[in-house]
Amino acid sequence: MRPGFRGRETRLWIRVRPDLLRHCGAAILFACWLMLAHGGARSAGLPVPYRAIVVQPTGLPTQAEFDLRPAIDQARREKKSLYIYLGADDCPYCRRYEAFLAQNAGELLPHFAGYLIVDLRSSLKISSKALIIRTNLGALPYAEFQRTIGDERARLLVYPSVWLLDTEVKPLMQMPAGTGTFQTVPEQLEILNLVQ
Amino acid sequence: MSKSARLWRALWMVCVLASVGWIAGPAQAAVGGLNSNAAHNDSSPEWEKLRARFFPNRSIAADAASQVQLIVPLRAAYGASVPVKVVSKLPQRNELYVKKLYLFIDKNPSPLAAVLDLTADLGQADFETRLRVDEYSHVRVVSELSNGELHMDSRYVKVSGGCSAPPNREHPELIGKTILKLNGPVVYDRPNVADVTVLHPNDTGFELNNITVMFIPPHFIRSIKVRYGEHKLFDADLDFSVSENPTFRFNFVPRGDATLTAEIEDSREGRFTGMLPVHASGLPGQGDAPVDSRAP
Repeated sequence: MRPGFRGRETRLWIRVRPDLLRHCGAAILFACWLMLAHGGARSAGLPVPYRAIVVQPTGLPTQAEFDLRPAIDQARREKKSLYIYLGADDCPYCRRYEAFLAQNAGELLPHFAGYLIVDLRSSLKISSKALIIRTNLGALPYAEFQRTIGDERARLLVYPSVWLLDTEVKPLMQMPAGTGTFQTVPEQLEILNLVQ
Repeated sequence: MSKSARLWRALWMVCVLASVGWIAGPAQAAVGGLNSNAAHNDSSPEWEKLRARFFPNRSIAADAASQVQLIVPLRAAYGASVPVKVVSKLPQRNELYVKKLYLFIDKNPSPLAAVLDLTADLGQADFETRLRVDEYSHVRVVSELSNGELHMDSRYVKVSGGCSAPPNREHPELIGKTILKLNGPVVYDRPNVADVTVLHPNDTGFELNNITVMFIPPHFIRSIKVRYGEHKLFDADLDFSVSENPTFRFNFVPRGDATLTAEIEDSREGRFTGMLPVHASGLPGQGDAPVDSRAP
């Protein structure tokens, strides 16, 4: 027997209270399931502390149109830039980025002060042709929207995606596809500070 | 230990681990534990090996002393297509010119992306192209002058997945089509900007076919040779670290009417040619659209 392994006592305890042990085990499993389920629900979309403007799509199921005009107007009033996040409810990489933001909210939130954060809630089922973005430039499918604003990510829709835009819908800098290259605090700060 | 005890013990461990995972959340390191804070002019173990192999016992001027500048964004839209610009700080003159340019990506499976053999007829040894960058890595240019001096510049680039990004296969019948384009009206005896583009998947051999789930065999451009009339402008030896549809923006000094020619060879011995007659009349800026030349 390995040192420190209390097999004899365990066996004895099982003999004495097997029903209690089984109940405890079931309760623990249920608690784990609750925690995991709660975790999934918690991280669908940007974390609450970021106070993002949530934009739900219209026109489903044939298309998903996101109207950015109210957010742009608000950003203009508040003299802020836009941090636009496109996530999907069934996208594990989105959950990862959202969990990163949640975990580092204390450190990151002050640096988001100059941005109005917008959370576009999409789904992996929405293709680039069905994803419509409505701004002051009109209602444009994803690729056309990207080409119109001069964003190189026109070719491929990647979830999650982030845009940094001014209130004239001009990119503040070319963003990468996905969020994998800014999922550390220093790298997220590079993005917010427009380090190129 | 009894079977039931082992079972409960295993269940307990699973619960403990799940709880720890839930509380700790995802790790905070960069993707794949990549170095997220390297300086642009840092070295790397890969670079030390490359340097010893390609430039043994030779000094390389860097930083302020360097005669070459590399412009690459810290992050690009896609790792499979990172825009790279090389700017030479000295003009191409017969007495001293950039003879060779080496483009390296330290951590790519094939780190030497391109070797360009240049002539003074370019007028200015500036180039723009697009490269695949597979993971966080330094991109470097080494400029070899006609007097033997070496100059270097480097940039750290944060992208990933470039070598596994599926290529565009919408028009396989166009593979090899070579397009030469002038970017403005021609001015004789001064550097003029032109582009050469080859429509080609430049398959790395690392991409998966989504249907067969088999690796797509490598198929990439091996060389591009560009001439103006009888004059060599540059020869580019390439590898699959160059993005699909390889493009080079370059300068050349026309001394009169002639034809701009690009000869292409790929890794399956495919040979393609593009030609563009260059005249003082009928060129962009004089009422015409940009001039293309496409040869199958």
